[in-house]
Amino acid sequence: MTTQTTEGLRRPQTLIVGKSVGRVDSLDKVLGKPIYTMDITPENALYLKVVRSSVSHALLKKVDLSRARKYPGVVAVVTAQDIPGINESSALLPDKPLFATDRVRFAGEPIAAIASFDPSIAEEALELVDIEYEPLPTVFSPTEALEPDSPKIHTNGNVAKHLKVRKGDVEEGFKQADIIVEGTYKTPFQEPVPLEPEAGFVIPEPDGSVTCVGSIQSPYHVQTGIAKILSLRSEQVRVIQAATGGAFGPKSDEIPVDVLGMAALVAIRTRKPAVLAYTREESMIGHTKRHPFVISLKVGVKNNGKLTAWEAKLIADTGAYASLGPLVVIRACFHATGPYVIPNVKTDAYCVYTNNTMAGSFRGFGGPQAHFAAESHMDEIAKKLGMDPLELRLINMLRPGTLTATSQLVDEGCGLEECITKAVKESDWYNKRLQYTKLNGAKKRGLGIAIMYHGNSLGPEGNDFGTVHMQIDRDGTTRLRTALTEYGTGAPSGLLQIAAETMHLPLGYFKLDASDTEYCGDSGPTVASRTITIGGRATQMVAGNLGRKLRQVAADMLQSSVDDVEVTDGVYRRKSTEQSVTFLDVVAHAYANGIPLKETGTFTAPKCDYEPQTSQGTVYLQYTYGAVTAEVEVDTETGRVQVLKIVTAYDVGKAINPISLEGQIEGGTIQGLGYALMEEMIHKNGVVVNPNLGDYYVPTSLDVPEMKSIIVEYPGALGPFGAKAIGEPPIVLPAPAIVNAIDNAIGVRLNEIPATPDRVLLALRKATAQS
Amino acid sequence: MFVPQNMGDLLQFLDTHQSGVHLIANGTDLINRIQRKQVDPKVLVDLTGLQELKYVKKQESLIKIGALTTISELIASPLIDARYDVMREVAMKFGGPSIINMATVGGNICSASSSEDLLPVLLVLTADVQVRSIHGERIVSIEDFVTGKRKTGLRSNEILVETRFPELDADSACSFEKVGMRNSLIIAFVNCAVYLKTDKSGQVIGDVRIAFNRVSGKIPQRSRDIENKLKDKKMSEQTLADATTALRDELKLTSDFRVSGEYRTEVACAIFKRTLRRCVEKLSGERALV
Amino acid sequence: MSKHLLKFTVNGKKHALVVQSHERLLDVLRDRLGLKGTKEGCSTGDCGICAVLMDGKLVNSCLVFAIQARNKEILTIEGVGTAENLHPIQRAFMKWNASQCGYCIPAMILASKELLDKNPNPTSEDIRKATSGIICRCTGYVKIFEAIKTAAAEMKASD
Repeated sequence: MTTQTTEGLRRPQTLIVGKSVGRVDSLDKVLGKPIYTMDITPENALYLKVVRSSVSHALLKKVDLSRARKYPGVVAVVTAQDIPGINESSALLPDKPLFATDRVRFAGEPIAAIASFDPSIAEEALELVDIEYEPLPTVFSPTEALEPDSPKIHTNGNVAKHLKVRKGDVEEGFKQADIIVEGTYKTPFQEPVPLEPEAGFVIPEPDGSVTCVGSIQSPYHVQTGIAKILSLRSEQVRVIQAATGGAFGPKSDEIPVDVLGMAALVAIRTRKPAVLAYTREESMIGHTKRHPFVISLKVGVKNNGKLTAWEAKLIADTGAYASLGPLVVIRACFHATGPYVIPNVKTDAYCVYTNNTMAGSFRGFGGPQAHFAAESHMDEIAKKLGMDPLELRLINMLRPGTLTATSQLVDEGCGLEECITKAVKESDWYNKRLQYTKLNGAKKRGLGIAIMYHGNSLGPEGNDFGTVHMQIDRDGTTRLRTALTEYGTGAPSGLLQIAAETMHLPLGYFKLDASDTEYCGDSGPTVASRTITIGGRATQMVAGNLGRKLRQVAADMLQSSVDDVEVTDGVYRRKSTEQSVTFLDVVAHAYANGIPLKETGTFTAPKCDYEPQTSQGTVYLQYTYGAVTAEVEVDTETGRVQVLKIVTAYDVGKAINPISLEGQIEGGTIQGLGYALMEEMIHKNGVVVNPNLGDYYVPTSLDVPEMKSIIVEYPGALGPFGAKAIGEPPIVLPAPAIVNAIDNAIGVRLNEIPATPDRVLLALRKATAQS
Repeated sequence: MFVPQNMGDLLQFLDTHQSGVHLIANGTDLINRIQRKQVDPKVLVDLTGLQELKYVKKQESLIKIGALTTISELIASPLIDARYDVMREVAMKFGGPSIINMATVGGNICSASSSEDLLPVLLVLTADVQVRSIHGERIVSIEDFVTGKRKTGLRSNEILVETRFPELDADSACSFEKVGMRNSLIIAFVNCAVYLKTDKSGQVIGDVRIAFNRVSGKIPQRSRDIENKLKDKKMSEQTLADATTALRDELKLTSDFRVSGEYRTEVACAIFKRTLRRCVEKLSGERALV
Repeated sequence: MSKHLLKFTVNGKKHALVVQSHERLLDVLRDRLGLKGTKEGCSTGDCGICAVLMDGKLVNSCLVFAIQARNKEILTIEGVGTAENLHPIQRAFMKWNASQCGYCIPAMILASKELLDKNPNPTSEDIRKATSGIICRCTGYVKIFEAIKTAAAEMKASD
């Protein structure tokens, strides 16, 4: 891994930020400490099992729970009728109930929950529930759902969101083009597979409030959701995030509210703690997955390679309930052209309801789908022009001073070109592509490339703010508290590095407390890789204030002015006299004199300003850029694709912790490889047929290619030290890079992923038959 | 659960309890199916205490494997040398260490599930199984023993104690290939086992046996028509090509929710060629096909 | 369901418990012995997260009936090392930031131990195979491979 700094950009030297230091959570995890939700369940708790719909669209004529209620050992059965507040568990649009009442819209929708002190009794009682369904007409294809005569899933129709980008005039653009290339691309439901399935428990407190503990990304979303269901004030709902075994999206929106909401109903009814842990199967059916998209592109280009017009239609299947589908579609819509300069753009993006299971947040959030289409299409355009696909990209890519598809000016913080050049060099692009044309035999090899941009943080998706609280104990432990959660990213550990850097104190003094609404302010959701960008800015602010306070105390102790005091590695020195006091001296002095050593602060990002009908303007405050090359070997007799090597180059602005960053890149890359080759949640008439890890394939250690991660740093305007979002981008490009590499190897374009062996072989046979 | 202290105990128990009894070697298949509510056994019988059923030995020109030998114990046995690398080929694609440490040879045969990898190999090695009850023993060919998906000829008072197959001589080799969605932990789209015996020159096919998984009735089966077409033929690319063409017509592999039957058949033909070629390489140490 | 007396050793300590016939080893370790380090990821034996060492061999504890562990020695993550006395494998995982969400880490560490206890000089291929039965969704496996290499070197050096 190499850290590159750009010539001409002077940046302050950092001592802790930029170092590959250890993570604060590693020790507990390598020791196997009991820190996850199901490790710390309360004694004498009730365990819930959920009654779920077995059909995908029906009226509930009868739900008879009487036999279940009477089953020995069953302590409580809850339905919508037991909800004191509002029967809603919904992330954005108020379209989803906690429990279905008169109607179900997907196979797996919760109808009731059964609780017992013995989970196996609750499980047995599930068999005693009698439900009578009156089937309703179903629709499982989002393109069909757009038809006017399609069955309506919700009263307002099947379109949850329609978004547009309009720049210039595409018809004019097509007239200026020498050729026009069209193509349609399809992506599947990708299942996030956090290794820890959803889990949570609720403790009813004597004063009528509740304490919720669970595997969650966004404590405040849960607080708001539970308060609404229980008809409590927010202050009466305490939410604590337990260590979380992976998330990737489904644990940020309504699903933890489902889990804790159902548990809370049992808890307040029975006045006993209530636990709900999803089985893997339940998790795969019941939580949100990546939106399948059908993307149709029509692109005009001149013979010299310059793009003149880009028309895109994106249709996303959001399943029975929208979740954050409208926001996913926004991001896909804004990135639908890929990172290119195009004078005329017309994009229409639709978020559509069907009777499939729910789609929602999942790492990448529309970016992977948009780039799969755009980057596959660029290769097709290159083919039609007889041009090297790399060449076509270099001609059209975004550079500082150019405008994006939403007419946003690209600033100096754009390292896209350097990413491309470095990735291409490392992959030995030209030599290998030439070499591989000469291969004989059943196994063919190829190289493919894909490039991206990724708007950071929430942008148009919501209010973008982060809150951090810091305080120093008597013994010098400097605590950082934030509702931005750790679930594997390592980002909260990065906040400590930022704090330590800002305050010039050793990293070892700092401690990260649990994300608990009791003492952490709202920071919005832990999504969109915003912990470092938004949380980092809040940390800088708060640490800066607290650091200044400490320097003031030191100055008083040294009888000097604040300006004459310099801090290095926890020692406060009066520059003019060389006298010094230690950090612990300063803390003791502060305590002795009643000077509070605590600071809270909220950083709010500027609002993104763009025209709502045409989406022209600033849609995100900064962008991460990247280039990925993939080298594959295709077995033309079995269709199996082995990825031999993946080179990634990302402009991350500033790497707060290089080794953690690499870990995020490697993890996202392998998820992207799974998306490209083997991952697909298959629905048959709305029923998931592979809700288990034996039939849904995620990459194993034997599927990992040689990987090389290159870090490029062009500081962004938003993040601390210029840092950019890097949690999500790595999952975006492996799929188009791999599919482009397959095309290079066997001359076959796969328009649909995953490029499973049977699809590859079928495409190969078709191509051979046609030629 | 019944935990027998010894073989006599076990056989007595089996004889007196004729129904609802499930034997578990290492339970991997059964515990899975209990979790998925596909089966609700009344009585489980834990066989893992019967250490006398863990062995790999050579006797009367037969390789004999005790039913409770795990896959990892099998491939660690000095008797399973390079000649029997086919067992390693199976183990490699079987699953990770935690799976092969538990899966037993007998358990695999008796579960007869459609994802079976070992069965095609045992079929082409013309293995027999030895089953025992309180009344005595019988030997059954594995082909007759496995009658359908999860169906074997094991009677309710019997247990499988051993599988055995003739030693491979200097002119015979066996190989296995599996294709699935990824490189580990895969349920095969299709797998193929081939046994090849040549004449002394290595130029003529003496005997060949071929088996694929999930053929008809969802169990592994021998492709006897193709075997007969290859028998006594000269080893050449043409012979192989003709056999593959015939195979494509004969094999009508079924589809599943994942992949089509056409795809499976196509891939079966491809890996049949590779597996046969690998047998030739094993015999000669170099490519012998003209 | 019948009851049985289970006598076995866990992390060096002898135990005698009455277990139900259908109880899994995973349940006994977590719920009866309070050893929460062993996790449940899928209940169908497909993810490897529940792996423990049984007589030195890696097994998926969700696929083992508790009674089948009789007279055996079980090693869980809690028995590998302590905060004061970390095993080289644990140290190596920390050094490489190989733990992200941490859920697969106990199983990965035990798989590494099975490998390194019998093969002190593993090749890259050996390391991949040894970890091939355990799914990791966060790391992409790369830092886990590096950690195992480092642990192998450290364990050899201290011999």
